[in-house]
Amino acid sequence: MKQPKILLFIVIALLPLTLVSCIPGSAQLAKGWSGTAVHDGIIYVGSVDGRVVAINSSTRNLEWAYSIAPVTAPSSGLSCGQTSVTTAIYGTPLIDRDLVYIGTYSGQVYALTIARGADRWVYPRTGSIGAIVGSPIIANETIYISSSDSMVYALDTIHGDLNWKSEILDEEGKRHEKLWTSPVVHDGAVYVSTLDGHIYALSVETGELLDWSFESEAGFASSPVIYEDTIFLGSFDRYLYALKIGSDVPMWKFPEENPAGNWFWAPPIVDEGIVYAGCLDGRVYALDAETGKELWQFESQDARGKPAAIVSPPVLAGDLLIVANEAGNVYVINPETGEGERIRNPESGDKPTIDAQIRAPFCADEGLTYIRDEDNTLHVVDIENGEVSWNFDLTKKEE
Amino acid sequence: MGPIEVWHLIIGTPVLNVLIALSQLLSGSFGGAIIVLTIIVRLISWPLTKRQLKSSKAMQDMQPKIQELQKKYGKNQQKLQQEMMKLYKEAGINPLGCLWPMLVQIPIWIALYQAIMRALATTPENLLDLARRLYSWDIVNQAIPLSSRFLWLDLSQPDPYWVLAIIVGGTMWVQQKMTQAPAVDPAQQSQSRMMLLMMPLLFGFLTLMFPSGLALYWAVSNIIGIITQYFFTGGWGYLKFRSPFKSTQ
Repeated sequence: MKQPKILLFIVIALLPLTLVSCIPGSAQLAKGWSGTAVHDGIIYVGSVDGRVVAINSSTRNLEWAYSIAPVTAPSSGLSCGQTSVTTAIYGTPLIDRDLVYIGTYSGQVYALTIARGADRWVYPRTGSIGAIVGSPIIANETIYISSSDSMVYALDTIHGDLNWKSEILDEEGKRHEKLWTSPVVHDGAVYVSTLDGHIYALSVETGELLDWSFESEAGFASSPVIYEDTIFLGSFDRYLYALKIGSDVPMWKFPEENPAGNWFWAPPIVDEGIVYAGCLDGRVYALDAETGKELWQFESQDARGKPAAIVSPPVLAGDLLIVANEAGNVYVINPETGEGERIRNPESGDKPTIDAQIRAPFCADEGLTYIRDEDNTLHVVDIENGEVSWNFDLTKKEE
Repeated sequence: MGPIEVWHLIIGTPVLNVLIALSQLLSGSFGGAIIVLTIIVRLISWPLTKRQLKSSKAMQDMQPKIQELQKKYGKNQQKLQQEMMKLYKEAGINPLGCLWPMLVQIPIWIALYQAIMRALATTPENLLDLARRLYSWDIVNQAIPLSSRFLWLDLSQPDPYWVLAIIVGGTMWVQQKMTQAPAVDPAQQSQSRMMLLMMPLLFGFLTLMFPSGLALYWAVSNIIGIITQYFFTGGWGYLKFRSPFKSTQ
C-alpha cells in the first residue's frame, strides 16, 4: 500500500510541473524581428536563424549571408544543462558607405562589408555587452546603440572602438535591465527612452547626462521619434505622448480621455505635421503633431475580421502610407483621408496578405515594400499594383 | 473557444493581472506580490486545509488503535489494511483527504509559473505577449516592466546559491514530519522514512530547475502550512526534537 502511495505522490508532483514546462506561451524564446533595409538595390535583413542576409532585389538572388555565432543558454523547466541557441536579431541593419551595422541579442555590434558580408569589426572584440534589441543609429561618424545593460554605447564607425558609454540608465535599485529601445540623435544630444518611464538626454560628445530628463508614471513602450524639437513616443499606460524637449509636462497625450485599446508599441512616424501611430489595438491613428487632435483612424484586421495588433511601425512610401499588422495583412492607406485597401494574398483572397506573423519593421523603396515575416521569409510587395511581387526564403544558403 | 483559451480566461490571465496589480501596490516588489498571492491562495483553500488538518488530528488521536492493529495483524497485510480502512470509515476519515489541498494548488502552480514568466517578460516576445493579456486597469499597466529582483534572487531564474532549495525541502520535511505517524513495523518504518525524504528532496531538486518565483511560492506555502498546522493541532505533532545528549546519559 505504501509504495503505490509514494508513486502517487511523485506522479502528482511531477505531472503538473511537466505540464508547466510543456504548456506553450509560458516563456517564449528570443527569435528576433529584424527589420529590412535597402541600399543600392540590395536588401539587408537579419533572419530568424541568426544570419545577416543580403539579397539582390533585381536578380532576387542571395548576395551573401553572415552567420552570427550561436549562444549557450541554460535550459529551462525540467531539462538540465545548457543548450546552444541561435542568436536573435531584433534591430534593423544600418547601412553607411561600405558597411552594414547590426546589433545582436547576444550583445555584440557587427560591422560587415556590404560587398561580401565579411566582418570589418565586432564590438566588443571579446565577450559581449548586454543584449541588444534596438537598432543602431549613426551621426558624426559614430554609431550609437543601446543595450540591455542599461547603457548607451558610442562606437567609432571605422574601427569599432568605444568612444564612450553612458552611465547606467536605470532607476536606482530597480535594475530592470531592459533598455530595449533605439536612441535618436537630435541637435547635439542623444535621446533614449526607457521601459521604466524615463527619457534621458546624453551629450553626443561624451555620453554624459544633460540637464534635462523626463520621468513618466508609466514606462515607455516605444523608441522616441523627434520632429521639430518634440519627442513622440508610446507608453505602457496606453497613451501616445508628445513632449517638447526641455519641458517637464507633456504637450499632449492621445487619446485625450480614455486610453487606447492597447500599447503604442511601434514608434510613430511624423511627416508634414502629422503623426501616424500604429497601436496594438489594431488601429493606426493620424494625429495633428501640434495639438494631438485625431484626424482619422484606420482599423486593420485579421483573416476573421477582428482587429489585429500593429507591431511594425507604419511606413510612408511617396504619397501612400503602408501599414502591416501582426496577422499578416498589409494595407495601403491614403494618408490624407485614412481610406485604405488591403493587399490581397496571391493565392487566396481569404488569407491575409502574407500568411505569417509580421512584427519586424519594414522599409519601402521605389514603389516596393520589403517585409520580413516571423516564418523567416522576405516578401516584396508592389505598392502601386497592390500585390505581393515575390518572396525569398531567408533560410536559403549560399550556392 | 479551445481549452487553452478557457484556461487563460478563467485562471491564467486573472492570476497574472492580480500578481502584477499586487506588485504595483507593494511598490514594485514582485517577490512581495508572490508572497501576498500565496497567502491569498492559502486563505481561499482554507476550508480544504481545515478538513485536512482535522483529518490529521483525528489520525493522530487514532494512533494507539492503529498501533494495536499493527501489532495484531502485522503479519497479514491484507487484513491489516482492511481493519485500518474500517477504523478510518468509523471515524469518518478519508486517508487520501490530505491530497485535496495539494490537488487544488496544481492549477495555481501552473498559472503562477506562466504568470511569472509572462510578467517578468525576459524576452521582447514575452513583453509583446504580455500586452495581450493585461486588463485595462491603470494599476496593471503602470506596473510594467516589473523588476525580477527580490532579495538575492532573480525571480525568473533558479536560485544559484541553493538557499531556496534548502528552505523548500526543509520546510516540506518539517510539514510532513508533523503529520506522519511513526510506524511500528520495521519494514513500514523504512518505507515511511523514504517517503518522508522523497517529496522534500524532489521539490528541493525542482527548485533548482524552475524560476525562483515559483520556488518562493512553495517555500511560503510550506511555512504557512507549518504555522497553521502548529496552531490547529496544538503543537509540533510527530515532530519531536530529541536531545542528542539523551542517549549518552
